[in-house]
Formats: sequence, C-alpha cells, structure tokens
Amino acid sequence: MKNTNRSFYVFIAILLAVIGLGSYNWLRFLTHGAGLTGSSDVVPWGIYITGLAYFIGLSAGATMVGLLIHAFGREDYKPMGTRAILLALLCIFGATQFVLVDLGVPFRGLKVPLILHNPTSIFLLSSTSYYVFMAILSAELYYTVKMTRGKANERDEKIAKWLGIIAVPYALWIVHAFTGSIFGVVKAREMWNTPILPVHFVMSALASGFALVILIAIITSKVEKRELLSSETYDHMGKLLAFFVIATLFLDFFEYFILRYSAKGEAIETWHILTGRYALVFAINIGGLIVAFLILLSKKGRTVNGLLIATSLIQLAIIAYRIDLVSVGQLTPLYPGMGELYYHPTFPEISVALGLIALVILIYTVLSRVIPMEEMPHVIEHR
Amino acid sequence: MKTLDRRKFIKLAAVAGGGALMPEPLKVLNDAIDQLIGPKQKSKIEYVPKPITGARFGMVIDLGKCIGCRRCMYACKLENNVPDTISPPYIMVFETESSTGATGHFTSPETPGKGTTMFYTKLYKKRWYMPVQCNHCDLAPCVQVCPTGASYKDPDGLVLIDYDKCIGCRYCMTACPYNARRFNWWEPKIPHDRINPLVPIRRHGVVEKCTFCVHRTRKGKFPRCVEACPNNARIFGDFNDLDSKVSKLIESERNFRLKVGLTTEPRIWYLTRPKEKHMRWYKALPPPERIRGITS
Repeated sequence: MKNTNRSFYVFIAILLAVIGLGSYNWLRFLTHGAGLTGSSDVVPWGIYITGLAYFIGLSAGATMVGLLIHAFGREDYKPMGTRAILLALLCIFGATQFVLVDLGVPFRGLKVPLILHNPTSIFLLSSTSYYVFMAILSAELYYTVKMTRGKANERDEKIAKWLGIIAVPYALWIVHAFTGSIFGVVKAREMWNTPILPVHFVMSALASGFALVILIAIITSKVEKRELLSSETYDHMGKLLAFFVIATLFLDFFEYFILRYSAKGEAIETWHILTGRYALVFAINIGGLIVAFLILLSKKGRTVNGLLIATSLIQLAIIAYRIDLVSVGQLTPLYPGMGELYYHPTFPEISVALGLIALVILIYTVLSRVIPMEEMPHVIEHR
Repeated sequence: MKTLDRRKFIKLAAVAGGGALMPEPLKVLNDAIDQLIGPKQKSKIEYVPKPITGARFGMVIDLGKCIGCRRCMYACKLENNVPDTISPPYIMVFETESSTGATGHFTSPETPGKGTTMFYTKLYKKRWYMPVQCNHCDLAPCVQVCPTGASYKDPDGLVLIDYDKCIGCRYCMTACPYNARRFNWWEPKIPHDRINPLVPIRRHGVVEKCTFCVHRTRKGKFPRCVEACPNNARIFGDFNDLDSKVSKLIESERNFRLKVGLTTEPRIWYLTRPKEKHMRWYKALPPPERIRGITS
C-alpha cells in the first residue's frame, strides 16, 4: 500500500478539483438561478433526477450482500460486508444530494418531511424513506464495525444481523419501488404511467447495485494487490448478477413492447424518440445488458476479468436506462403543436453532477481507509 | 451640517459598497438562513384575498371567436409581473391550419417583452387558434404530487401556489398534463414602471402559473385576459350561478375540455369552432365590468 501512496494523493487531488469546480457552479445556481442548466419549462427535470434514480438504484444491490451473509450464511462474502453497507449509505447520501442541487429553493427543501408536508405526495414518502434508510444503514455500519473490532457482545451481533436482513425488504419495497412510483404515478406522461415501472426500477436497481459491489471488490483487490474474494465467490456473484440482468431485460422488453404495441398517440411519439434521437442511449441500455448477460453465462465470464467487463457494461446500460426514463419520458410533447422538444445538459450542470459523484468517491475512499473493513489479522493468519 | 452630510455619505457608501462587494458565499448563506427560518413574505396574506364561499369559478373559451391575436398573453404577462425570462408566459396560443391539422407555433412568432408587440389584425379563415393555460382542475395532479403543500386547491375552484412554501422540486411541472406551469429559472427582473403592485414578484427557484387573476376575481373583477380579448372569446364566471353566462354556454353541444380521459376535471371549457362560413369579426362588446353576484 505504501507504493501507491503518491498515486493515492494524486487521485484525491483530482477528486478535490472536480468537487471544487462543481461547488463553484452550484454557488452560481444559488445566486443566479437554475437557468444555467439545460432544463426548461417543458423538460423540467434534467440529469440530477437521472442521477437520483441511478444512485438510489446503486444502494439496492449493496444491501443484498448483507442478506447473503446474514440470512443465507454465505460467510465468503464477509470481506465485502462492511464495504457494501458503506457503499449503500454513500449512494443514498449521493442521491439526496442530487435532489438538493436540483431544488430551486434547496435550503427550504430541508424542511420537507417535518415542517412542510403534503401526505399525498410521493416525493414526501420517498424523501422520508431515504432519511430512515440512511438511519438504518448507519446503525448497521456502526454495529458491523463494532463486530469487526471485536468489541461487540452477543446483542450487538444480533442487532447487526437483523438490521442487515430488514434493510433488504425495506430498500426494495419502500425506497426503490416508491422511487419508481415517483415516475409511475404521473398520469400526464405516457412513458412513465405504467404499473410495471416500480418493479422495473427495483430490478434494474438490483442489477446495477450488485454489479457495483462486484466492481468495487475487483478494484479494491487490484489496488491493494491481494485477492479479496475467492474465485468461487466471484462465480456465485456472477450467477446472481446474471439473474438480475435477465430479469431487467425481461421487464425492459415488455415495457417497450407494450408501449409500442398499444400505439397510443403519445406512446408512439415516445417510441419514435427512443429509437430515433435517443437510439444510441437505447442501444447501450438493451445491448449492454444483452452482452453482459452473455458474458456472465459462460464460466470464463464469471472470473475477475470477465466480471470487470460485464459489471462496467451493466453500469453503462443502467445509466442509459435512467436517461431514457427521465429525459425521453418528458420529451414527448404534451400538445401536438409544440414540435420537437430538446434537452441538452450544459457544462455547469454536468460539472455539478460530476462534483457530486467525486464527492461520493472521495468520502468512500477516505472512510474505507479509516474504518476497519475486515478482520485483518484473521485474514493474514490464514495466508 | 457639512460634516453630517459627509458622514451620512460615507455611511451610505459603506453600506452600498458592502452590499455590492459582499462575497457570493455570504449572499448564499444569507439566502439560506432566509429560506430556513427567514421572514415570511407577505405574498399569501396580502395579495391573495379569502376564497369566496359559494362561488365556483371557471372559464369558457370560444374557439370560434379566437383570432389568435395573443392580446390575452401579453395582458396576462403585464398583469401578473411575469418576467421576460419566462417564455412562453402563462398562456400559450397554438396556431392550427384546418387543412393540415395541428401545426403551428409553440410560442408567439413575435417575441414578447421587448417593448414592441405586434398583434394579428387580419382574420385568417383557414387557421384557427387554441389558447391553453392552467385549467384549474378539480382533481389537480399538481396539487396531489406537491411535497410541501405549496400548491393548493381553494373551494372556489382556483388552484394557487404559496410561493413561501414552494421548494422548486418541479414535480408539479412534470405532473401537469397541460404544461401550464412555469419555473423561475433566473432571478426575475421587471422594469419598475411595469410592476403591478397588486401581484408579488417571485424569487428565483419557485414555480408559478395562471391564478385566474386571483387578486381581481375574488374582488368581483374579471381576469385580465378576459378584459383584453377584443372578440369576447373568453368568458369567465361563476358556475354555481346557474343564470351566469358561463353556465349557459357549457350547455352548448360544441363544448369540450382538454384531456378529460385523465380525469383531472379541468375548469376551462372550450367551444369548438362552428362551420367556417360563420366565422367573422364579432362586434366587440365591452364585457360587463364585474362578475355577477361577487361582491367584496
């Protein structure tokens, strides 16, 4: 690890620079207004809501590791246990930050669940659930770290176990399905208003989130130059991921199939945008998932190198799906006379988004060095 | 006397300079504190009169009379202190050619707000026009999805926004099937001589839309767009009053509403255009000065 010290500091410096640029531009939003973004009155939501959807999704798969360890007794996942909790926590934190920068009056937005509330709003429900989820994950992290340090008594271990188990249904049902419902309940938009959307959202969240855990495991192994997980564990992870990917593809297929087949006025318009102007994004979404699934099917694909390619492809594909979901859903004109609508993210807008991503990476990098992630002496003894 | 003046001048200069030189982070901090605990603007209390009990406001737009002059659009813009940065303003007028179906302008071909505004004065028989704005739906999706309760429905039929509660999440804008809502993307700047003191000026980052000119209608006056229409295509009134003009007009078999399939129950009724030969410049009658039965 000492050899990598210099490149580590360079990495941190780059992250800080990106964060600095992002904060500067966010300051400009706060003083001049959000007009610096590419959104408009006809396409009110931009990449920040895309970022929210993507980051919320990432936190789902990370909780799956806890379930595998505590409920299914897969002890071989343990090296990723604490890391997965930290990832989930930081992803949900990142998602809330994406909402914060998107708000027109952000600090008033902090009042939302307690002082200002309207019980019929899905935003109220989802934002409250994010706060509760952050609390659950923080508690889980606290008790898991206590266990790693060897300072936990039996009660602490039990709490950590049950928190790890309830985090999964809570995440899938409350956090993710209701985040999907943010779009699903909007009857004005043909592409969003479908009951399949919450399910689709959960499934794609599992695919991208679990892929992220694998990706982080591989990157950590490469950076620290040791094998974090055994090849058997990677194989098992690949199989599980293949299931998530094919389920997402299945839902993708039927969502778009019914959209095209029903051929309602706005649905057909949406389809034309999807396969016309957004054809590249659409191709990355579907193609990425298909290629990743084919890689994961073969035994060679479920080794470190295959998984590296497959998980990166899945990240790209799910980002593409989120872009399609948020942008194309709004680009369908609500009146026939409106002509073609466009949304192009601007440089300040992108820089703020990159700054947020850099912030999440920075916090993870620092915390994963500060917090004991696994029982180190134990691992070394075995070697 | 002289020294006092100088002292005063220095003081003023210091305050002005401090304001101008105040670094942006400090301004942001100041604004943040305002947003969290800050002084409540008097917008709601002062500018929005109490809802009128027993009334049920709504509008009828006769497309047979609309000539697409967009006077309603500009009158609305001036009445409601809509800044130039919000384009189109609350009312959009679509132009449709009867032969080719829906085509036309999303915004008006003449850019509003630059001082000169042109109006169509010729009647194009081959074209017809479709003004759209907030429909003040009875089951408004925007009110349903608003996380803070800033958008609300009043018993007299108006859907309004409390600018002191809006957090600018724009969920209402995506939820509105009529594209009626506008966001303050920039700090609104309105020339001093154009400000209507009866309507608050919004800050950047909040959503706004047509209010049916709440400051006028609840005092018995008509909305500005109704007054501005040269051809009386817009008729505003109380639907609970069965003898009112609007109540009688919606019994016409030409009536329709926008996107009724979404069950939003809009409160703007349209009357389709009658056959072309009946199209003509209607004699512009001055509309009655006040809404029947509304006194306050």
